[in-house]
Amino acid sequence: MAEENTQQQSYGGGGGGSRSSGPGGGPGGRPGGPAKRGKRNFVRKKKVCRFCVDKADFIDYKKAEILAPFIQERGKILPRRMTGTCARHQRWLTVAIKRAQNIALLPFAAEL
Amino acid sequence: MEERLYDLIFILRPDTPEADIDKVISTLEHAATEKGGKIDSVNKWGRKRMAYRVQKLREGYFVYMVIRSSHGEVVKELERRLKVSDPVIKYLTVRLDEELKRQEKLKRHRERRAARRPRKTVTPAPAMPGAEQAVAPTA
Repeated sequence: MAEENTQQQSYGGGGGGSRSSGPGGGPGGRPGGPAKRGKRNFVRKKKVCRFCVDKADFIDYKKAEILAPFIQERGKILPRRMTGTCARHQRWLTVAIKRAQNIALLPFAAEL
Repeated sequence: MEERLYDLIFILRPDTPEADIDKVISTLEHAATEKGGKIDSVNKWGRKRMAYRVQKLREGYFVYMVIRSSHGEVVKELERRLKVSDPVIKYLTVRLDEELKRQEKLKRHRERRAARRPRKTVTPAPAMPGAEQAVAPTA
């Protein structure tokens, strides 16, 4: 019990410490990151759902040029992790893409 | 029964003469009105390249129309006619009213939130002049 408590405390303290150092080091560390070499620097741009930016309430299956960036060269629908689309808009997007495919506005698969 | 809204897109052979295209459209309009539906708009997109080959054709003449009806019989009849019509190579009907309803709902929701937001910013504002007034007499 005591061990658990100490572990939790130490864990919590360590976590808190790292967390406090994280934001503290973050603003200093992230812009300064590229200068410091040796440590892994992940510069990952935060992807934002494009439909949320446009405040889209409806994704039109008739506008193939809007849907085109969300399919692969081979005709597959791109996953959310690639495009950054939010869950709700991805749901609508897949429906729109599938409709567009049915009326030959988008390909099911790339042709030879 | 409430009215339903449909999108109907069909693709004709690219070599169909203009007169035949109009004939197809007018027969569809006739059929729709006969069954108690109504064609809101007809939009000829014209010759477009299709994303894949259909009946060995790469291009097609696209026609888009919006149909209003209170029952599905109209769509059934239109699709039957499109199926038997020779120049038609592909068609698609999509029911849209429920999605439009959802769109309306989301729009209203957002407007309401937008209307509420200024009030939130307004409420701290009176507190600020009050604080200033409280400070002023002591100073």
